[in-house]
Amino acid sequence: MYNTEIALNRFGYGALQNQLNTLQSDPKKWLLNQLKPMQFTQVEWTSIQAIHTLAEFQLAKEADKKNAASQADNNAMQAGELSSDKIRKKINQAAKQTTLASLQQIITQPESFQSRLLDFFSNHFSVSANNIITKALAPTLEREAIAPNLVGQFSDLLLAVIMHPAMLVYLNNEKSIGPDSKVGKKRSEKGLNENLAREILELHTLGVNAGYSQQDVRELAMAITGWTVTHPYKDKTEHIGFIYKDQHHQPGARFILGKSYPQVKLEQGKQILIDLAEHPATAKHISFKLARHFIADEPDPALVSAMSQSWIQSKGNLAFVLTAMIEHPASWQPKLQKLKTPRDFVISACRACNQTGTQKPDSFETLKILGQMPFSAGSPAGFGDTAAFWNGSEALLAKIEWADRFSRLLKNESLELIKQTLGRQLSANSEKLINQAESKQQAIALFLMSPEFQLR
Amino acid sequence: MKRRNFLKTGCAAWVLSQQPYALAKVLEPVNAPNHKKLVWVVLRGAMDSLHAVVPVFDPYLNQHRASLVTPIAENLLPLERGFGLHPALKYLHNWYQQKQMMPVVAVASGYRQRSHFDAQDYLESGLPQIDQDNGWLGRAMQQKNQQGIAIARSVPVSMRGNQLSNTWFPSNLPDAEEDLYRALMQMYQPYPEFAERLNQGMMTRGSVEMDKAKTRNPKFELLAKNCGELLAHSVNTSCAMLEMGGWDTHNGQIWRLDKQFSQLDAGLNQLKLALAEKWRDTIVIVATEFGRTVKVNGTDGTDHGTASALFLAGGALNGGKVLGDWPGLAPENLYQNRDLKPTSAINSWLATVLHQHWQLNTQQVRAVFPDATIRSEQLLL
Repeated sequence: MYNTEIALNRFGYGALQNQLNTLQSDPKKWLLNQLKPMQFTQVEWTSIQAIHTLAEFQLAKEADKKNAASQADNNAMQAGELSSDKIRKKINQAAKQTTLASLQQIITQPESFQSRLLDFFSNHFSVSANNIITKALAPTLEREAIAPNLVGQFSDLLLAVIMHPAMLVYLNNEKSIGPDSKVGKKRSEKGLNENLAREILELHTLGVNAGYSQQDVRELAMAITGWTVTHPYKDKTEHIGFIYKDQHHQPGARFILGKSYPQVKLEQGKQILIDLAEHPATAKHISFKLARHFIADEPDPALVSAMSQSWIQSKGNLAFVLTAMIEHPASWQPKLQKLKTPRDFVISACRACNQTGTQKPDSFETLKILGQMPFSAGSPAGFGDTAAFWNGSEALLAKIEWADRFSRLLKNESLELIKQTLGRQLSANSEKLINQAESKQQAIALFLMSPEFQLR
Repeated sequence: MKRRNFLKTGCAAWVLSQQPYALAKVLEPVNAPNHKKLVWVVLRGAMDSLHAVVPVFDPYLNQHRASLVTPIAENLLPLERGFGLHPALKYLHNWYQQKQMMPVVAVASGYRQRSHFDAQDYLESGLPQIDQDNGWLGRAMQQKNQQGIAIARSVPVSMRGNQLSNTWFPSNLPDAEEDLYRALMQMYQPYPEFAERLNQGMMTRGSVEMDKAKTRNPKFELLAKNCGELLAHSVNTSCAMLEMGGWDTHNGQIWRLDKQFSQLDAGLNQLKLALAEKWRDTIVIVATEFGRTVKVNGTDGTDHGTASALFLAGGALNGGKVLGDWPGLAPENLYQNRDLKPTSAINSWLATVLHQHWQLNTQQVRAVFPDATIRSEQLLL
């Protein structure tokens, strides 16, 4: 009945102006056509650049320290900026520009189901920019590991993410060393860190309470010892990025979830991750999360079950699983049942109002104000995905203030075209009040804050 | 007219004419104002209690984590029973000396896995089974019919499950025009949830004069200060909740916790200053979802563990002690050979505070914590 609107607003980030009219007559086909890897048009900053710049930063800091010590007497430091501060600024700027560029592409790209899938997995594999290193690396993860593997086998996506420097560093695996490895035996103060292994089991694959034990966590942590990141100056290699270091790897077979994995270096951990990706608990866990993200806070169990069956049949082929979601009648209930997160709200507002999110406060700053700054979830579980996380009274007031300000910055935008982005979903009551507004600016703010625009 | 003026002059009257159902809730007589204030602080990420309330007397301490203890050992602030408080917790120690602070060691919720997120939900919901829509403080407020405020953008699990919870968070955006709020009130009529949130938010912001925070990423110190102001100025608000993250110290624990404890300490001091004379009637409870491994890990940090510590503070407290049985750090005394073993349940301490501070009777306490018993210790003056 409202299938075009549902395809655009529930599966996607909301319609661009005129998109509702020009959409192909078959909304399902429009969705299915988006099941391909995502390509970022602008490459702003790569993990290789980030690693190089971080190494420069480290050297500059050591040099600054030496300078400070040797020049303490003659006050030569008044010249101002330390060279490490300059590099720090460069990193901050590059990270922010990259994030903004990603946001801008997501705002303007017509295929918004695809970009919401990217956002889903970027949050599923959440990394937080909580120090200079993770700040430099965080925005490269979704671009390098997630976008190219968006709708293929989940195991490929999982491996790409876990082996990406951003994740290895964020969850401390880069320094995790097998106690009986060559290095571990020589330097007893170095050892195992089980952070990444635990989150792989709990968040990335099986899900909490899926029947794994503390012993399984430890075994997985051992299996991925030696999965680390090259250092441009210390490691004698041309290659920058993921590296497997056998001298850090815990020798011996690993035993996880009742299965034995013989010692085959890097392949040992890889094989475990592939098995985890295809595990029925993973199928259920991620199918549920997908259905919750796109359809409803409490999704229809029949929908989740159809998706997880597709997962099991296809060994975790994401296009297959998503097709099951698109084809399921429960996904097309006309009732608006999902509150947009601040991110979804801001992106959809920009789309509806023909903006790119670069006006002040830009989309990055706005999300900071609304509590969903990119790469700042603060926990590897990512941002909350249900209304309870975002429907506080304070959250509502902040959105009103933002909508008021945002609508003031619009020049010559047509209220009619903006209203049309909701199509038949805009209620008569809301439309009446929008039309009665004292100014066009206020009408647009009311439209953005209408329950029909806030929900999907 | 900007919103603030609107709120002062016209909001209540306008709400009266437009929204009888919403007003009914606002004017509903809460019990005689409760002067006993409660502040619930959740440290998210699992605070390492062995780094906060250090059992220097335990002969096994250095065997497990000498590299974490040595750098702070000399400057520890003395507590009774041979414990030492982390040097950064200066105000807390000051209060301890004035009998306004006491740590409780080796506490845990009933949760025995090691997931942060489930553990936080478990701690916050306070029920034998996690219920994300039903929090212990929310139920306590209901028993007492008292309003509460979370310093957050949305209601955290702890305060969910009633209609008395409100949220507040500093915003850096200018107020919108009054007329926009008016029109939105009307637009939200068919959607009670939206209408209610709008109403609540406006009431909260209208109830206190407060400068808007100047920072978009407010630090705990500022949030704690604002929290104290909100509590001090609103007679109808008897409890508040604060959250602080950054405790998941898998690496670099020495300097990270030094920073964390300084911030926590400074924030709690701001809370006290803002509460001013209300501090006398206040109990602050600081808790975390679980503890960390007794042994230092391979990256100068600690991994997820089991028992941790609670801090109780406030002018109403009978403090100056260290409570909780000490399980010992000998390998055979550790939980699953790695963690500090819990000797008392967090819920039992919370229940006791509710009983002694808010005078909830046994039956009311049971409605909040079905599986907790009230303790015999006299926690309050």
